[in-house]
Amino acid sequence: MEHIMTITHPYQWLTIIWWLLIGFFLVLYIILDGSDLGAGIFSLFDTDKEERGAIMASMAGTWDANETWLVVAGGSIFGTFPLAYGSLFHYLMMPLMVTLWGIILRAVSLEFRHHSKRSTHFWDWGFGIGSLVTAFSAGVGLGATMQGFSLSSGPVPTFNGGAMDFLTPFSFWTGITAVVAASLAGGVYLRARFDRGTSIYRKAMVWTDRMFYVSLIAIMGTVVWTFFKFPWAMSQWIGPYWWAFILTGAVVVFSVWAMRRASHQQRDIAAMMWLGLIVVLNFGAMMATLYPWFVPGTMTIFDAANPSNSLTAFALAMTGFVPVMLAYNVYQAWVFRARIQELASYGR
Amino acid sequence: MTDPTLMADLARLDFAWITTMHIIYPPLTIGLAAFLFFSEVRWLRTNNDEWYRLTRFFEKLFVINFGAGVATGITMEMSFGILFGPFSQAAGPFFGNILGYETITAFMYEAGFIGLMMFGWGKISKRMHLFATFNVAFSSLLSAMWILVANSWMQTPTGIHLENGLFLVDSWKDAILNPNFLTGFPHMAIASFEIGLFFVAGVSAWMVYKNRNGKMFMRTLTTSLMALVIVAPLQIYVGDELGRTVAEHDPAALAAMEGHWHTDNADGTPNTSWNVIAWPNEAKGTNDFQIGIPHVLSLLEDHQWESTVQGLDQFKPKDRPPVLLPFYAFRIMVAAGGILMLIAFWALYLKYRGQFTVNGLQQRPWFLRLVIFSAILPYIAIWTGWWTREVARQPWIVHELMRTSEGVSQMNVTAEVVWFVGFVVFDLLVWVGAWYFFAKVVRHGPDMNAEVVHQSENIPVGSLMTDKLDQHETILIRPTT
Repeated sequence: MEHIMTITHPYQWLTIIWWLLIGFFLVLYIILDGSDLGAGIFSLFDTDKEERGAIMASMAGTWDANETWLVVAGGSIFGTFPLAYGSLFHYLMMPLMVTLWGIILRAVSLEFRHHSKRSTHFWDWGFGIGSLVTAFSAGVGLGATMQGFSLSSGPVPTFNGGAMDFLTPFSFWTGITAVVAASLAGGVYLRARFDRGTSIYRKAMVWTDRMFYVSLIAIMGTVVWTFFKFPWAMSQWIGPYWWAFILTGAVVVFSVWAMRRASHQQRDIAAMMWLGLIVVLNFGAMMATLYPWFVPGTMTIFDAANPSNSLTAFALAMTGFVPVMLAYNVYQAWVFRARIQELASYGR
Repeated sequence: MTDPTLMADLARLDFAWITTMHIIYPPLTIGLAAFLFFSEVRWLRTNNDEWYRLTRFFEKLFVINFGAGVATGITMEMSFGILFGPFSQAAGPFFGNILGYETITAFMYEAGFIGLMMFGWGKISKRMHLFATFNVAFSSLLSAMWILVANSWMQTPTGIHLENGLFLVDSWKDAILNPNFLTGFPHMAIASFEIGLFFVAGVSAWMVYKNRNGKMFMRTLTTSLMALVIVAPLQIYVGDELGRTVAEHDPAALAAMEGHWHTDNADGTPNTSWNVIAWPNEAKGTNDFQIGIPHVLSLLEDHQWESTVQGLDQFKPKDRPPVLLPFYAFRIMVAAGGILMLIAFWALYLKYRGQFTVNGLQQRPWFLRLVIFSAILPYIAIWTGWWTREVARQPWIVHELMRTSEGVSQMNVTAEVVWFVGFVVFDLLVWVGAWYFFAKVVRHGPDMNAEVVHQSENIPVGSLMTDKLDQHETILIRPTT
């Protein structure tokens, strides 16, 4: 891959910034849509028809804007890391395909339910299953990315493995972890969204309590497994910057404690903020561990970068459109900030 | 090892299906957004509540369509890398960057203003709302522009050079303003306006036909059909220009579209026969059967009575595109465009005779029925036109620089079949759903009782933040996405 390196060499700092920016888009997507997906998973276990409708209605105004960040991340990867886009996405064909089906099913269910009378039940399940499938397959995709994949030789190395290469015990586990973590986020979100007197709020309290321990185990498991499975992770964590990782870990532990406390005191918005911070810290630590790999052991961010990357695109994105979208997310959250009290109105 | 031809063909089929199921939404989004801007301007200018109700009514349809476009569009964005990985890598420096621009400068831009347009009624000033609608219309057109830049560049790849298997950009200007783009984008943009206008005309004609708010819907019926008197012929003119661009830069594609095998007749004179219908035989390199009119081909492509038009015999069999599909798809597109123009002219004739009124039209139910059913024709024209464009470029994915077989991901045939079946199910779900809810909204008709939102003109935008929304209403009235 050396020749590509010589082409991409002068663009190093721009490459790093773009990589960070894509990480930012992804973490934003995980935080925003993770809650929605988790609420969908929660709804699978909530058999009350009215409550299911209320959960779907609670995100009616925001879910599509939350999903925008996935589209933005995808487009940015194609634009700035085309060599990774054309090989990684091919490697991830199956999990991405299932994720896309989940997204379509969920989108259709969310919107059609409000128009339906006889088929409500069908859309309820579509919403729940779509959410579950999306979270699981996206988690599998993330785990599969950490495993790396085999590349062809030739001027532009591309994926040359099989369609099922992605599936290993580890990637299956990260899929489960994603479902569990989303479930926790969904519970926290529902508590912040619904009035404390509602039955959804009470159910979400129990749910959050259980999911807290389950996701703690799942995430700890992933961290330990990563440490022993991947030499690139181990060497980073016990390398010269070990103290930074320890420090981050300490902040994460503190944030988990703070989230629990906020949760117990029914400061639901605060709990949601702490959870968001935990996600950011974890994702940031993951990216720091990955550097300089885009896909560990397979291609570095410099191998994958677009040799025609230009400052213009970067300037456009940063000065114009990213702040506008962020402002729009905040605006929407503000518009829909009030807690939902009455359920009956949302039944259909 | 799997058969490479089968694998490449399946990858094309997989991509063709998701494209076919996506391209039915964005053009309508573009056309309808432009129409919404127009009708909102009419409302502000005339202060006539009917224009307000029409705007709100068509906005509901717009939002359903937009949502279907996003749901199917996310798939498109991921699929270049999944199905055509090596192409995405090689062309990525240009092609990927352009799609990235599309995401950032058009998609994000649009997503932001669509929210404001949907939720902003009564919350922001009328002028601010009009501004939001304008930006939705503008950004959706901008999005189409970037997509057409990327696709046109595959037809006429200028401004780049190949280095170590990568297409590196020499001149962004030349690559973006490639020859095919300069006529291809106007053709697609006008197609979008045409589909939007015929959609509005079809729905309005149904309302007049059923005598539901007929007088009010005469406004949109008149506006859309009269606009089409200009737009429909203009599209045929621009289409002809695009045909000549293709003739100049990709003669093999043009020859395939026309089923034109032999450059010269047996006696050595140029073969200028234009085939009305034909049955091509690719193995033998000729048509088994054809009905042709002499001189029309050179008139069409060259605007001359007799000139040489390169036939497929000028290209090696392995460099020839398939003929059957481009030949018929192209003819169906042209026929659809022609019929649409005639309908617009018929409307003009009725208008001239003073019969373009609720009563006048209700006495001519066949005209109304024709307008209602003609709403499907722009869809057919867009499908067949895009199929022509994509199939006639074969066997190249980047014209004369990269073969489709080189650009395709090395996939497992089973995986490709699973992909196809799955997306048939899910894309049909979106399609059936979208059209079912179109029908539902149309049958329900415009809301004639809701109070017209009158917001004072000088409310600062900042009040958006403090204006507490009625939660109930917002969620319940929120149209489908």
